[in-house]
Amino acid sequence: METIQSLATAFALMTTPMMLFHVLWATTLGIFVGSLPGLTATMGVALLTSLTYSLDRDAAILVLICMYVGAIYGGSRSAILLNIPGTPASAATALDGYPLAKRGEAAYAMGLATVGSALGTILGIILLVLLAPPLAAAALKFGSFEFFWLAVFGIVISGQLTADGNPLKGYIAGLLGLGIAMIGSEGIHAVVRFNMGMRDLNGGIGLIPAMVGVFGFAEVLTAMAGNDGNVVTPAKKRSRSIPRLVDLIKYRVTIIRSGILGTLVGIIPGVGEDIGAWASYAAAKRSSKERDQFGKGSHEGLIAAETGNSAVVPGSLIPAITLGIPGSAPSAVLIAALFIHGVRPGPMIMIEQPEFIYSIAVMLFLATIAILVLGLSLTPLFVVVLRVPNSYLMPIVFTLCVIGPYAISQRVFDIWVMVFFGLVGFLLRKMKYPMPPLVLGIILGALLDKSLRRGLILSDGDLTPFFMRPISAGFALLVIVSILAGIPAVRRAFGRLVNRDHR
Amino acid sequence: MIPMKSADKAMAFVLIALGLAMLWGGYVMDRLEVRNIHPGSIPGLLPMVLGVLITLCGGLLYVTSAKDDPSGAIDFGNISNLLWAAALCGAFAILLVGKLPFYIATFVFITAFAARFTYDKAHSPRQRGQKLLAAVVMGLVFSGLISALFRYAFLVRLP
Repeated sequence: METIQSLATAFALMTTPMMLFHVLWATTLGIFVGSLPGLTATMGVALLTSLTYSLDRDAAILVLICMYVGAIYGGSRSAILLNIPGTPASAATALDGYPLAKRGEAAYAMGLATVGSALGTILGIILLVLLAPPLAAAALKFGSFEFFWLAVFGIVISGQLTADGNPLKGYIAGLLGLGIAMIGSEGIHAVVRFNMGMRDLNGGIGLIPAMVGVFGFAEVLTAMAGNDGNVVTPAKKRSRSIPRLVDLIKYRVTIIRSGILGTLVGIIPGVGEDIGAWASYAAAKRSSKERDQFGKGSHEGLIAAETGNSAVVPGSLIPAITLGIPGSAPSAVLIAALFIHGVRPGPMIMIEQPEFIYSIAVMLFLATIAILVLGLSLTPLFVVVLRVPNSYLMPIVFTLCVIGPYAISQRVFDIWVMVFFGLVGFLLRKMKYPMPPLVLGIILGALLDKSLRRGLILSDGDLTPFFMRPISAGFALLVIVSILAGIPAVRRAFGRLVNRDHR
Repeated sequence: MIPMKSADKAMAFVLIALGLAMLWGGYVMDRLEVRNIHPGSIPGLLPMVLGVLITLCGGLLYVTSAKDDPSGAIDFGNISNLLWAAALCGAFAILLVGKLPFYIATFVFITAFAARFTYDKAHSPRQRGQKLLAAVVMGLVFSGLISALFRYAFLVRLP
């Protein structure tokens, strides 16, 4: 009852004409950002953070959430029309969306993607409202020992799940991120570490310049070095864009499963929407009666991918708000933006600002309604925008990459940081190092450092509490199992053992 | 195309050097004995741990790179386009911004970028002129829009 009352209060606050205007423009912008190959949700949220300074707290966070939801959904547009995922989250969408577009069903595919995204986000919102308060309450029992392991677990699992076949590269990216976080003044004795004689590094590396570099500038370089795709014109054979109810009922199990899977993937630190989409797609394919149609234009495959990636958005906000640990790269930027606007995400959120989780749920809901309305009504406009050549689009994007980080600190140094991270990020991505663990490392570095040293002070240098306290022991076990599961020889040995037992 | 195996080996050396540097940096870091802090809270503790782990991962990468798929390679795409894009972006961000007024720096960058990437030798002089004009218009419009947006709407003191 209290939950419903809190939701109603938040809804009343968020539905003023000005707030609805913010929902409209920010979601539209988000859909455009997501639909343009080379512009990602992370980049959109990072760039928009600098533009939300003059807004009050709720309006600023609403704008960023609408951008996030819109961009993840918008990625499906270019995936369906161009066979180029607008964001990495839409890679699985392209598998069935593009064949559907080639068959002349582009509008219907976009309609299915729209409804799938909306349902995925709504399922995620329900789980956010149900899970976030108890998780925040549980996190109040966390001490330095538990937070140490939580940070380690975040890096390990993110490294493992986002690496393209070689978990070692994921772990390396995470360790590099932690190493970067060691630059600047540390949080216990205020000693400046590794500033290399540059006073600008005393405060550390800014998260936003680093992320804009890694996800923005690196994308500009990738786009200019690659080839443009060809737009499939959806008007060749007119198809309806509003999905048939019978299709949605037919795939209800897939929708619910994908929504839950996506949300759970979102809760795992630093994993993100692309994994949510692939996990949902794979699960749908495994259990589908039409699995031979997957990859050839399956409605079920398209719905699974879109429901899965959109459900990650609310899911990723669960640990971001309650633990201060992002579930995805865009939510990492959101955490930085929350601090800028005076919200301190973490276990104390339910004590300091208990209404905040419900405000976030309402913001997500409004963004969902907006993608539903805009997505089904603006299809022709998106086709026109997708024709903008990279030669014209990318210099504008790069200009925003330059001015965005500068606007936050008003330091030219942050522009250089952005350029450095863009070049390094581009090289690392080409060498198949995933970027989410790197970003997560930058965020979790301070938490890991302080938790380790505070823990050692509390235990007077004794390591036992790191392994013997119940929650710590659980996390330690999870970390060890995750690392072992990433070693092929261990997996093979385990497989042999299981097979022998079966025989 | 650079073979992934060679890239991994080079990266392994970089990681080992970086890890050892972090280990050394953490080891020689001020231990604040004068402030009588707990030895478990010395600022160099985590850098030392990370140094060891990065060195280990570098070693593992070197060993596993030998088993990599020999056909794996890094594809940088169109190298000429990549270098041009990197050079133009780098020149704008590092040389122009802060030295010229932001509006002018942005105009120069957008125009140069669009002109370079729409230039095609196969086009007639008239077509090239049209593309150049389009690039100049793009530069004028978007440098004005972006500068005005940040300066007047978001109250940013432009570089």
